[in-house]
Amino acid sequence: MQPTVLQRMDALARKLVPFGLTLGLMLFALTPMQVPGLSHVTPMYSLAAIYFWSIYRPDLIGYGTAFGVGLLEDLLSGAPLGCSALVLLLCQYLVFRQPKFFNAKPFGVFWLAFSVLALGAGLLKWICVGLVAPGGFTRFGDMFTAVLLTAAVYPVIAWLLAKAQIKLLVQP
Amino acid sequence: MLQPTGKISRLGTLKSLLQRFAFLSLIVATFALMLIGKADTVLVERARIAVTDAVTPILRIMSEPAAAIADVVANFRELGAIRRENAALRETNSRLLQWQSVAQRLESQNHDLRALLSLVPEPPAHFVTARVVADTGGAFAQSIIVTAGQAEGVAKGQVVMSGEGLVGRVMQAGQNSSRVLLITDINSRLPVLVGESGTRAIMAGDNGGRPRLLYLSTKTAVAPGDKVVTSGDADAFPIGLPIGRVARTDDGAIEVEPHMSGDKLLYVRIFDFGLGNTMADATVRK
Repeated sequence: MQPTVLQRMDALARKLVPFGLTLGLMLFALTPMQVPGLSHVTPMYSLAAIYFWSIYRPDLIGYGTAFGVGLLEDLLSGAPLGCSALVLLLCQYLVFRQPKFFNAKPFGVFWLAFSVLALGAGLLKWICVGLVAPGGFTRFGDMFTAVLLTAAVYPVIAWLLAKAQIKLLVQP
Repeated sequence: MLQPTGKISRLGTLKSLLQRFAFLSLIVATFALMLIGKADTVLVERARIAVTDAVTPILRIMSEPAAAIADVVANFRELGAIRRENAALRETNSRLLQWQSVAQRLESQNHDLRALLSLVPEPPAHFVTARVVADTGGAFAQSIIVTAGQAEGVAKGQVVMSGEGLVGRVMQAGQNSSRVLLITDINSRLPVLVGESGTRAIMAGDNGGRPRLLYLSTKTAVAPGDKVVTSGDADAFPIGLPIGRVARTDDGAIEVEPHMSGDKLLYVRIFDFGLGNTMADATVRK
């Protein structure tokens, strides 16, 4: 039996869930939080989302998502074009290359692996922005704090995305 | 039975090859974007303006809850300190009343002297007030997105102030939104005057909370607590806009504590002082 238009739209909407939520988290990072000191060290929420979906739903997230979200992040944040996209793409590549490592491991291992990945991502973005931006290198300490915060908020983001996955992506 | 398995494995190989090709193409695309960003700034700027204009309505909705929570927290804090604040305000009020009479006297004197000298008055500054809907960049850039653009008369290079002091300048003006480069951004360089003596310097941001003073004409004349104001050089800013105070002067680096706090900006005013607008001119010349 051919799927109806509604069914097809439903299937398409489900496919777009990871992209939509990653985009939402990237925009959330730009929202003013009115918390003193936070704007210099905003966590890399989009990286956490890309990591999560690349592990749990690699079928629904491709390199195009990482590239698109990264490009939009650069365009909106005023950072040099291409840097976020490069970082997200490389992180996704690393996760995709290690399916055995990420197979049925306890959450602590995922968290630890993400923390190491976030440090690498922070360093790479810091070097990339420093080399490309006319103003040169930004403060290393701010980047490092942002990495620590990113690692610290990962369990919350993973929990939220897992809830979303169960609610929206697991077929009834 | 073997045929389908072979087909599946061939399909798998093809899929993995395609994925690898997509990855490599996109990596090449990121480097190409970096080069384009360096070479064709006008094109990139247009793209940034278009995307910012399109996303601002979403950012406006997303920033509502944070602003509402900040309002509630501020209200509670104010309630706690209401008695103390009231007493302080009474005292300030009586002091300001004295200053008011002094100011009125000086104003009339100033008016008479201007008339005597036939001075051409400066054009009045126009401003629009806009809400801050994004606070972008984190550790890598310091800019904000506000909800006023060309439709409200905002143009590149205009001066942005908060109630406390100078915030930055308009870097890109879209139709209904604009991006403001904060004075704390690593790409921000401002000509300033320091202290009573008016020592000239350049204030350079470093993406942290405290910009530094560079190229001071006389280093010894600067002390912590000295006022830092715009110098009006190069027609970028009018003279005397408050920026902050000198915070630290040790180990050769002089840091400025800005009056404005990038983390607490809810509303800003965008001024059109009718200046030469060096930022806008630079784009036109390209």
